[in-house]
Amino acid sequence: MNTFLSAIFSGTARGAIFALVALGLVIVWRGAGVVNFAQMGQAMFSTYIASTLIINGNSYWVGFVVALIAGAALGSILDILVMRPLSNKKKTELLASESMRAAIPVIASLGILGVLQALAGIIWAAEERGFPAPAKQEGFTVAGNVMPFTAFDVFVITSVAITLVLTTLFFKKTSMGLGMRATALNQEVAKLSGIRTNRTRTLSWAISGAASSLAGLLLTPSSNLSPNTLDLALLIGFTAAVVGGLDSPVGAVLGGFILGMVISFVTFYSSPEDVFLAILAVLLIALIIRPRGILGSKDVRRV
Amino acid sequence: MLRIENLVTSFGSVVALDGVSLSAQDAKITTVIGANGAGKSTLLRTISGLEHPSSGTITWQGESIVGRRPEDIVRMGIAHVPEGHAVISELSVEENIIMGSLFRRRKFKSDVSAATEEMYSLFPRLEERRKQLAGTLSGGERQMLAISRALVSRPKLLLLDEPSLGLAPLVVEQIIDSVNILCRTTGLTVLLVEQNANTALGVADHGVLLALGKVVADRPAAELKADATLRAAYLGY
Repeated sequence: MNTFLSAIFSGTARGAIFALVALGLVIVWRGAGVVNFAQMGQAMFSTYIASTLIINGNSYWVGFVVALIAGAALGSILDILVMRPLSNKKKTELLASESMRAAIPVIASLGILGVLQALAGIIWAAEERGFPAPAKQEGFTVAGNVMPFTAFDVFVITSVAITLVLTTLFFKKTSMGLGMRATALNQEVAKLSGIRTNRTRTLSWAISGAASSLAGLLLTPSSNLSPNTLDLALLIGFTAAVVGGLDSPVGAVLGGFILGMVISFVTFYSSPEDVFLAILAVLLIALIIRPRGILGSKDVRRV
Repeated sequence: MLRIENLVTSFGSVVALDGVSLSAQDAKITTVIGANGAGKSTLLRTISGLEHPSSGTITWQGESIVGRRPEDIVRMGIAHVPEGHAVISELSVEENIIMGSLFRRRKFKSDVSAATEEMYSLFPRLEERRKQLAGTLSGGERQMLAISRALVSRPKLLLLDEPSLGLAPLVVEQIIDSVNILCRTTGLTVLLVEQNANTALGVADHGVLLALGKVVADRPAAELKADATLRAAYLGY
């Protein structure tokens, strides 16, 4: 199998996961107006919970489901304990300017990331541990040739596809989804319409938390699990969201796949060491050429 | 009936409402007129819970509503159409209307779709454009949509903030007429805030003149309309 096809296959599977990370960022950005830099810290935390369950003799699937629930719960808790009090604060002198009010939750999310990583270090010790995959990570064999496509890749792509379809249906077709979109677009009109905006904001943190936990579960089998493992994934997901448009879920998915391909081609044709540089280059190019992203709307706020 | 007593709302050191007292009678149109900056919008925003008063009382059907959230106040039958044709541009016309009745969809399922259809017969132009994004509508259509969004919640009191703002006189007339008919036929109570005093006083039963956060006059609309001295002093024409 030639290098080009290998890069395409590997890029698709990785891209699917980054699409998930970017989608998580977009959901909280649209639903709560926060760029959540703690997102992959939350994912790391719930992946550790899954890992602990599996090490103690539970099946992979118990760990999998518990991690998703823990991800949703952790997202909700962070919103209720940290973000809601911050955003509901009365306008004071310090918080007078709009940009300052927008910046504070973002800075808080960086603080949360630090706390989660430190906590994980304390609870599970900082050394790396492996994390299992639910399917084989060796390529399929067709007519004696090993293909660059594994059973785990199939699992990754399927589970991401299911998540994307479910979230799209939820936002487009359900009343709660409409309420969440309304809250994201215009909180005042949403409140006057009787939508409980505090609840819809928490719900967006929960959905994003579950989606990024899934991303964590899918990423860690090919790296290792440590408190900092998923930092790079956050950077990639953030770049993907910027490339696609921070306020567009479809754009986020598109951006995820673009980043997956870029990373895969750089890895195959150059070297894995250049990946970090490539991501920053993509981020820079995107910000210069099209700061609102491929599918982003015009009046997106600067972050 | 809505009864407001000694209401004070301030933003920092700026007092927007300075001891306002007024009431809105059931099934009547009460209009609050006054120049720019008189506190008219703040009055409506304080009633609907978007702003918090520092003192004073707001009583709706015998119950105090001060300190409640906007989400709860709309459930008590008070719907607010804020200034500036407040619709959500990125949602379709239909979604904007449905949004106003989301909180009723479980308890009153059949009535919710009936209410939506009523909005389309009240403003047929919205039905033609139901799948379009609200952002593509004209100013008048957006105002109709904003009012529909409020009306599908089946309010007993409608707070209407400057519906005439930036609209052509013919469109203003059509919108005001629709509200007037609703009030006369369904017993809707209306609190209409307007800078365009002539239009507002022409349709209202009662008029309140607000200047710099204080009530200057509180009389039957026709009487207020006829008072040339007040008009010259406070509205400038």
